[in-house]
Amino acid sequence: MIGKSEITKREATMPERSRQIASAAPVVDIYENEDEILLYADMPGVKKEDVDIKIDNGNLAISGIRTLKTSGVVNWAEFGDLDYRRTFSVPQTIDVAKVNAELKDGVLRLHLPKSEAAKPRQIEIH
Amino acid sequence: MWTRVNDINQMFGAMDLLRSRMGDLFGAYERPYGGDFGWPLTEGTPRTNLNDNGDKLEMNAEVPGLTKEDLNIKVQGNYLEISGARKSAAPEGYKAHRVESETTSFTRSFTLPCDIDTEKVEASLQNGILTLVLPKAEVAKPKQVTIK
Repeated sequence: MIGKSEITKREATMPERSRQIASAAPVVDIYENEDEILLYADMPGVKKEDVDIKIDNGNLAISGIRTLKTSGVVNWAEFGDLDYRRTFSVPQTIDVAKVNAELKDGVLRLHLPKSEAAKPRQIEIH
Repeated sequence: MWTRVNDINQMFGAMDLLRSRMGDLFGAYERPYGGDFGWPLTEGTPRTNLNDNGDKLEMNAEVPGLTKEDLNIKVQGNYLEISGARKSAAPEGYKAHRVESETTSFTRSFTLPCDIDTEKVEASLQNGILTLVLPKAEVAKPKQVTIK
């Protein structure tokens, strides 16, 4: 039998399939006043420790991973585990050191304060 | 011969992987979550999951930005109704650049697969997910049957 040794050497492995989690962009509201830009992102089910916010060179990337605890037999399922991610361009005038975020009722609230130099200023004539 | 079959399986496995990746590209990938695609739900209606745990049902609903005062839950027999309204989160003195979240009110009703013990229903709200624990009525609970 020609080639038999070759055949027996083959390993019957399936290609590795990592656990894939669907990714979607969260719904956002963006507000601005003279002092700051305010960003609200809906992330229902995401825990505080699973939120990741990065600001790098004018790019703001927010991401949050939702892992749901489920038990029992599924009757219906309209939502599941999800990786919320979305990227925004932010002006360079944002004071990166003072950015702060809070998570309440499944909504991420991101305060992006403007740096002093970028705030509007009233100039008085002497 | 069987090793050949495994080769074919492997090939199909790779094709499945490719298909799911392509699905991600054309489907939900990088699209706002909610809106007019995906599950055909009326605008502003929360998505729900229902699980059966034997002696109780568990329902989860996505309600971002809603507090417990904004929600109303009614149960009767095997009928469940969740209603609520999302208030505008717009802060005073800010101008809006983009408002994607909906501030509509909704009512969604369900016919549950069995009767519920309405006295023992528990509801909790955490991280924008409403969880309802609905214990089944005594008659609807699963019973162990012993063979005589």
